[in-house]
Amino acid sequence: MSNLSRRSVIGSLLAGGTAAVLGTSATDARSQGTAYNGYNRPLPADWSIPFDPSATRPTWYPRNLPTPGEVIHEYNIEVILTPHEILPMAHFPAYTYNGTVPGPELRVREGDWVKVNLLNKTHDFHTIHWHGVDVKCEMDGVPFSTQYPVGYNQTFQYLFRAQPAGTHFYHCHQMTNLHVQAGLYGAIIIESAVDPVKQQFPYTRDYTMVLSEVDTAFVEAQINDMELMGTQMDYMSRSPEMMAKMSGEMMGWFASKEAFMSAIKSGWIPPYASSVAGKFRQIQPNFFMINGKSYPMAEHIRIKRGELIRIRLIGAGMMPHFMHLHGHNFWHVCQDGAPLQCPVQMNTIPVFPGTTCDIIVEGTNPGNWHFHDHSDLCLTNNGASPGGMMTMLMYDDAAAEGFTFPEVLTLNS
Amino acid sequence: MWWLTTKRNSLQAVAAAICVFTWGAQAKAQVQHTPVPEQPSLAPQLEIDGSGIATLEGRFPEHNAPGGGKISTSRINFSDSSLVIGASQRLYRGGGIGSLVLGVTTSDNSLNSTGTGLFLHQAYLDYATNPLEAVIGRTDVPTQLITFPTLRGDDLVEFTGVLDPFSSGGNVQEHRYSNQVAVTFNKNLRYFLNLHAQHLIDSTGAGGDQTGINSYGATFMYQGAPVLADMERVPQWGVGVEEQEIPGSKGGADTALYGGVVWNIKSDPIDRFDLRFQDTYTTGNSLKTFGDIADTYRAAANSAAMSFRYLHSPFGRPAYQVALTLGLRTYQNVPNSSSFAIALTGVKRLGEGFDLIAQYSYQHWASAGAAVFGGPDNNTIQLGFAYNFTDTFNQHIAPRRSLLSLQHQYIPE
Repeated sequence: MSNLSRRSVIGSLLAGGTAAVLGTSATDARSQGTAYNGYNRPLPADWSIPFDPSATRPTWYPRNLPTPGEVIHEYNIEVILTPHEILPMAHFPAYTYNGTVPGPELRVREGDWVKVNLLNKTHDFHTIHWHGVDVKCEMDGVPFSTQYPVGYNQTFQYLFRAQPAGTHFYHCHQMTNLHVQAGLYGAIIIESAVDPVKQQFPYTRDYTMVLSEVDTAFVEAQINDMELMGTQMDYMSRSPEMMAKMSGEMMGWFASKEAFMSAIKSGWIPPYASSVAGKFRQIQPNFFMINGKSYPMAEHIRIKRGELIRIRLIGAGMMPHFMHLHGHNFWHVCQDGAPLQCPVQMNTIPVFPGTTCDIIVEGTNPGNWHFHDHSDLCLTNNGASPGGMMTMLMYDDAAAEGFTFPEVLTLNS
Repeated sequence: MWWLTTKRNSLQAVAAAICVFTWGAQAKAQVQHTPVPEQPSLAPQLEIDGSGIATLEGRFPEHNAPGGGKISTSRINFSDSSLVIGASQRLYRGGGIGSLVLGVTTSDNSLNSTGTGLFLHQAYLDYATNPLEAVIGRTDVPTQLITFPTLRGDDLVEFTGVLDPFSSGGNVQEHRYSNQVAVTFNKNLRYFLNLHAQHLIDSTGAGGDQTGINSYGATFMYQGAPVLADMERVPQWGVGVEEQEIPGSKGGADTALYGGVVWNIKSDPIDRFDLRFQDTYTTGNSLKTFGDIADTYRAAANSAAMSFRYLHSPFGRPAYQVALTLGLRTYQNVPNSSSFAIALTGVKRLGEGFDLIAQYSYQHWASAGAAVFGGPDNNTIQLGFAYNFTDTFNQHIAPRRSLLSLQHQYIPE
């Protein structure tokens, strides 16, 4: 998985001023944040564990704009349609951010500004929704709700302050059931200067595992349909006469409920009506992926005896996954980016759609260990077992510790 | 024994054995030898295509039927209805696809005494990779370039394509389907070069009741993306040459040169207006008189067909269509033999694939043709319904000319 912060950063810009100025601005913005959001209810007397009820408040007011001296990280992200290889001889046509599934990992410091220039090179519509990030509403990436979707060869610029700290992700919010399956998702990691996880568990390696699944036949058919519609529209856009014939009814777009009802009265048939849709074919995922790859092609996780590693699990798809690590217990330290009130000891962690879970693994048991979804359907590749959402926790020093069993790849057992 | 060769499915073998024991004759009759019987069967992608057309028809005045007898002046006509089943699967390498297609159509046998029968019009195996497609079996004649907007594919068939000079005319489908071996090379799935050899069905015995190759040739065709068929100015055109080995006793070999085009007069997603044209020029056959209707198919002639079609599609969905198709056929060596035809066709869409249809057609023969057809004129009025559907089961192969394949050369493994 690529890390865009190292690879494709256009530049980290200091809008002017010095670090001292930066500190001042941030402080001002913080105070603005608390000013609009003040509730100070007393804790209920019977709440057994103390907590901070203000923890859900954004540190900075999301509607603020960058001020001189603040850091802005700028990224270019293109949506590209390209075949994606899950495994050798297993591909699907993928919508991708910058050509990879998942898209590039963005990693920024909390409080920095993020500017993303989205360019759509497909004939479909796309956006980016910043899942778990407290952006201002116009930057939320929901088509027809917070922005118009980005069409072929169009651009949209997202600008937001990176907050709150933690493991988050981004994904397209246009026809989400298709576009996320088709590959439009990626991790955004917002690092805190005072990370309690790092303080408690001084980990040395940091892994991100984006979990997802795909029904390859569904994606292929649907992308074809969407490209078909988009290609027609792009062709029509060359002719003002033809564009004049375009109407909301042709796209299923309406300015209001009243307009929608009016169209139905005038003879428009909605796409879900059985007279045009029949009965919808259920989506049946046949590949289950970690960072876009299925077993045995998913990247291994490396550890050494005595080492602490952090693994960020992201539920980007539509199914829950129950990640089980053999031979180890681990600490569940963060949920949806936020540190837990108290780490929880587990060996199987559920990762539900739209959630993120951070775990800390300690190298206590040298060997080569399976780390996989325990929902057995997801341990298959197009029905063949073993496969799917599985990787290995590999000890660098396994041999030195006396474990010599060779890694055997099984594809049919 | 065939039912013992399937090692994996012992239950199926037992069941099959019981079936053979109980209904041995029927079961054995259904069993076919397979060259590599120990190979297990892979569940293929199955596609069913159905096309039904039924009309109440009036013809006047009464005239002769091919092969003798008189055509009824009224009938309930359900000819040209078809059911086709296709099975496809991916091959081991290179994105190849292997297919079997079987289909029957109701034939247009218009005699009072015999009515309508079934005709095997599709029975072929197909091997397709990205650059080429090979077909062996019975399917549409490769000389048919342009589809005209008449109710049935065999309406005005004397004008719209290269005719089967060995046909008696009793079954008009013989002009549309042939036994053939063909290879089609393509460039970007838009330009197609088809090289073929055919056995045109010999219902007159003119070919000495032989089943060998009696026609061969080549076609070159351009087909734009289906999605832009109503937008590109010229979405389809093609040319071809065909050599037909007609025996000397029937006037000798014919060479057919033919070409056709579809031209969008008005490219518009809502109000489409297009023109279709095909001309077929045959030369070489020396017949100078018509002894029977079959002679009209083999005598050297020039046929031209042209149609104007208006399609109204509010909201981008077809609602109704009106078309005027014209045909003219002249013979080089047969005096007073020209004929012309006109068809006015209307279609009102009632639901997905289900239409209310109507057509008036008129055909005129000069004296030579009138002598064999039993009169100089024929009027036909038809009113009825048409229904077309297609469904795919166990889908895992995209259509060969899907937009993904066209735009991205995407044929996945």
